[in-house]
Amino acid sequence: MLSRILVLLLIATPALAQDGAMDHSAHMNMSAGDSLSWRMPPMDMSMPMLPSLMRNVPIVGPLLPGHGMDPGMFPKAKPSAIINMADGDTLRMDASLVRRTIGDQEYVMMAYGGMYPGPLIRADRGSKVIIEFTNNIEMPTTVHWHGLRLDNAFDGVPGVTQDPILTGETFTYELKFPDTGMYWYHPHMREDVQQDLGLYGNMLVDPAEEGFYSPANREVPLVLDDILVDANGLLPFGQSAPTHALMGRFGNVMLLNGITDYELDVQQGEVVRFYLTNVANTRTFNVVFGGARIKVVAGDVSKFEREQFVSSVVIAPAERYIVDVYFEDEGDHPITNTIQAINHFRGIFVPETHLLGMVNVSKESVAEQFGASFLRERIHEDIKADIDAFRPHFDRSPDHSLRLTLKVNKLPLAMMRMMEIDTLYVPPMEWNDAMPMMNWLSSGEQVNWILRDEDTGKESMEINWQWKVGDKVKIRIFNDPKSFHPMNHPFHVHGQRFLVTHMDGVPSQNMAWKDTAIVPVGSTMDILVDVTNPGTWMAHCHIAEHLHAGMMLSFTVSE
Amino acid sequence: MTRLILPVLILFACCLAAWSPLDRTGDQPTIPCVVDPDPPVYYQVKLVTTRKVRGARLAKGFGDVTYAASPFGVSISKTGTYVYNIDIQMSNLKLDEGMSLVAWVTTPQIDQINALGRLDENLMIKGQTDWNKFLLVITLEPAAGELGPKWRGPVVSRGMSRSGLMHTMAGHGPFETEPCAVYGY
Repeated sequence: MLSRILVLLLIATPALAQDGAMDHSAHMNMSAGDSLSWRMPPMDMSMPMLPSLMRNVPIVGPLLPGHGMDPGMFPKAKPSAIINMADGDTLRMDASLVRRTIGDQEYVMMAYGGMYPGPLIRADRGSKVIIEFTNNIEMPTTVHWHGLRLDNAFDGVPGVTQDPILTGETFTYELKFPDTGMYWYHPHMREDVQQDLGLYGNMLVDPAEEGFYSPANREVPLVLDDILVDANGLLPFGQSAPTHALMGRFGNVMLLNGITDYELDVQQGEVVRFYLTNVANTRTFNVVFGGARIKVVAGDVSKFEREQFVSSVVIAPAERYIVDVYFEDEGDHPITNTIQAINHFRGIFVPETHLLGMVNVSKESVAEQFGASFLRERIHEDIKADIDAFRPHFDRSPDHSLRLTLKVNKLPLAMMRMMEIDTLYVPPMEWNDAMPMMNWLSSGEQVNWILRDEDTGKESMEINWQWKVGDKVKIRIFNDPKSFHPMNHPFHVHGQRFLVTHMDGVPSQNMAWKDTAIVPVGSTMDILVDVTNPGTWMAHCHIAEHLHAGMMLSFTVSE
Repeated sequence: MTRLILPVLILFACCLAAWSPLDRTGDQPTIPCVVDPDPPVYYQVKLVTTRKVRGARLAKGFGDVTYAASPFGVSISKTGTYVYNIDIQMSNLKLDEGMSLVAWVTTPQIDQINALGRLDENLMIKGQTDWNKFLLVITLEPAAGELGPKWRGPVVSRGMSRSGLMHTMAGHGPFETEPCAVYGY
């Protein structure tokens, strides 16, 4: 009782509300001199802040690679280039510090091969290539080849498949590409820092068959990201553990292919095949292409059973989608992230539209017209046949049941009480950082995100499921809405592929093979894993901060 | 004989609770998993009777909320709203001859109303909405004839989406010094 009274006294007097976004870069002891110190994150101040929270900074120290160094010391990063690789080819690639200009600010960031995004590795399905990777950043790292069913030794998980690659060291990865589609690579150590600073790139695996996809006039990769900056540059990260452990680090500047002013010129009537990859730490995007029609063709690891018209593309961190977009009308077609943000203080939904880029459609008509083909939703009999062998397993009892939840400790008391008050409605998805200050204050040392095995009671890395090659493993994943701070989680399984067979007991009507799928709050998602690849692997939430706050498990596949 | 029924039932219940098709590992106590997942209980709309309609004063009902079919798992509209399937089920009521129950979905301000339609003989109906906050309203209407743009009969039951519970913090708790009027409430 006494503690409750003290807490109420502590938090009883809110600061005056202020309108508009506020830059707190010069706050309190948060100066931006040579010594790195915390700066309060920029935030919409339409919600009054509690003074007791305004005095707080994260309990972990600040970290900003390249801080205090003259950006001019570093080479200027170049836009991504396509590296075509034939079977058996070798690519030497490093991770290094680079200089980048985003908007009108210059930043020291990281890059693979000196590029943003990293080089797009293009190879044929069935081929194998070698990547000789050298770590030239000031932190240990590894490279995870996301979505590839490759040999376990090259999966890039520190402490499981390899040792961390220390600064100056080289590790040789052997990649193989058994599945057509778009994949991506990123670090598997402190992703919250390294990936956010630019360490990501795509791998495009071309089909061996003619006519694998419907015809399109051009192919364009689109890499979606966001970064968190203020007038003094990048907001520091947490040193010993990530900040933003509750909701992940949302950025306030949107990036499409690493820039803020992406433009694409096309001719009227073009069908453009976009390869979308979400590399953001935590943000799920709802991508709209102006008034142009969109047809989704493929997911992470395969085509869908049938092409399907959609009004927007919902893409969670680490997911990929291949979509065809038909630009029938001349003029500007903005590429936007269109969401309903939540203002918890006012208790309202707020429509928000973030401009990601622009497609300029010229008056000239494209010579080769694929509009008629676009307007048909093609059935992919090859995928349906592939999935048929798995359908008898869709409705059986799950082999494993997971509950997604969390524990917290030593969070500021005012924050704990605030979050207890705000429990009337938890949205299925967090589209925006609705509580930037509280989110920033939560570190990976105070938040423990949990994957709980409902059958054994084991949690996260206590779990090591034992499977055999050829198994078809059904996992039921329940995202507990009654936990202290529920949130959507993009669940990623390494080294295998899976189907989302049911959402909340409703059978999926159009499936594609996946490696990552989103579990909304309150929902129960059933997945069926096609176990084909021996070794010890991880499955985890792909929100970088949640992963580092414990939300991962392991499984071992024997021959 | 009757004295034996209770112990037998308890024993049967214990056996059922202990049964599981899954192999178990580990030393910790086992927790039975749910076999058939239901729609999210958290987002279910409870339909509360108005007690104003004869034969329906003790009516019970709910609206299950699931995502409309989508290749992305969650179904989101072009404007960013959730697109929900709504499955309404009513029970514990008796209708007069020639009358039917009709389900409506409306915004909290009741400035937009959509008819989901007449409940079937099992007192069920399915519908869809993409509104951020919504009310479900069950009314008593003639069993025949066109439905108008708005209900004419009495309200039997009503319920609000979970999102409708989200409410301004101005004037409450730690923000009680913040007058609602400043924020337009």
